[in-house]
Amino acid sequence: MAQETFTPLAGGNWEIHCAASPNAALELLNQQKMDLAVVDVNMPLLDGIQFLDLLGKRHPSLKKVTLTAFATEEKRSACLAAGAELFIEKPRTDNEFQSVFAMLDDLMNWAPRQGFQGMLKRVGLMDVIQLECLGRNSSVLEIYNEHVFGRIYIEDGNIIHAAGGDLTGERALQQLLALPGGSFELVPFEPPPQNTISGSWEFLLMEAARKRDELASQAVPGEPEIDPKTLTAPVVASTRVVEMLICSGQGQPLYEENCPDAPGRAAMLKKISEVGARFAETLPLGALDRAELELSAGRAVALIRPDRLVFVRVAREAAGS
Amino acid sequence: MNGSFQQWLENCGSPPGLVACGLRQPDGNLICRGIEAGCPAEMMEKILAHFEDLRAAGFMGDLAPRWSTWNFDQGRVRFIERPDGWLLGLVARHGSAAAHGLDLLSQEFLSLPPGG
Repeated sequence: MAQETFTPLAGGNWEIHCAASPNAALELLNQQKMDLAVVDVNMPLLDGIQFLDLLGKRHPSLKKVTLTAFATEEKRSACLAAGAELFIEKPRTDNEFQSVFAMLDDLMNWAPRQGFQGMLKRVGLMDVIQLECLGRNSSVLEIYNEHVFGRIYIEDGNIIHAAGGDLTGERALQQLLALPGGSFELVPFEPPPQNTISGSWEFLLMEAARKRDELASQAVPGEPEIDPKTLTAPVVASTRVVEMLICSGQGQPLYEENCPDAPGRAAMLKKISEVGARFAETLPLGALDRAELELSAGRAVALIRPDRLVFVRVAREAAGS
Repeated sequence: MNGSFQQWLENCGSPPGLVACGLRQPDGNLICRGIEAGCPAEMMEKILAHFEDLRAAGFMGDLAPRWSTWNFDQGRVRFIERPDGWLLGLVARHGSAAAHGLDLLSQEFLSLPPGG
């Protein structure tokens, strides 16, 4: 029905495709580039909100609009938080269909901005950096909120410079990655004024994550106030690193922090690496990246790399505890 | 009794992106299903057997995870073991409906009454 109604309204400017299920929609999106997805909030198997989240991850540049016959404030908030640009009640009359089409048409005429845009809380800044480094890309990540503006420079998959407030180098990187919220944009690479960071991006991110958790454990509940010069941002505690071990690819412990049984953990990492390789031979999923263990009061991650094995255990804590 | 767990797994269906799934009974017998083309049930049986080797070696030590998730380049494997000895293994493609539903299925599996 949507296709029949909207096609004449589109006047040849838009090509309209319909999919009966999330899977069919994903197949369509894989087959050809789309500009806009209109998602029904109530769908079988996967609800529209989860589907929006999925679309955001797989097709970040795709604009998304949700339609529902039963609009509630809760649904509206959830859809917008999941990345929908508009939340619209399903039209019933011809006039309503025309209004909805005009809204969609107008949405598509908004000038797109260059580069990606996202929210730190929703997308995960660390994930974006990791993807850029893994892809050996060159880009500049601009990070900002009402108090802070900073840049992280990535060249050929290496983090080479970070700056924010009065800080540069690793300290700036750590403080930027510890920000409790804000926005970022991935913009085309331009050479930094200086190179202040060297070394493996994995270690840099790991150290930044440790620093972030350390800041979180010292957090003061309430509205965070960020010093724009030092970028120090008290954040609400949610996790705390309780144990960490870094080993060589052969399982030789290189660094440990609060690890009660480093040889035991090292043996565990080695075993996970070996079994992961056997899984990889059996499954059509590529190489093992990490194993995550869901614990009763936290989480443990075993990161598996050819040249290093890393174990980190974090404890979940109530805010402000 | 055993049929109830199997029935539960069948009722879960095959959400998009589910590659394979399988159950290991407390007596070691396996009930496996290959879903994606080129992924037969025997593949899942191997995976569960590899995991059993790892578990038997006591690799998790004092950690006693509720479940473990093995992330690969193109998908993940989730193992959930119940205190009564039933083990569920699920293989899902990244970003798929199945991958998004792993936590829900894991919680459901853990909350099934003994004997399913």
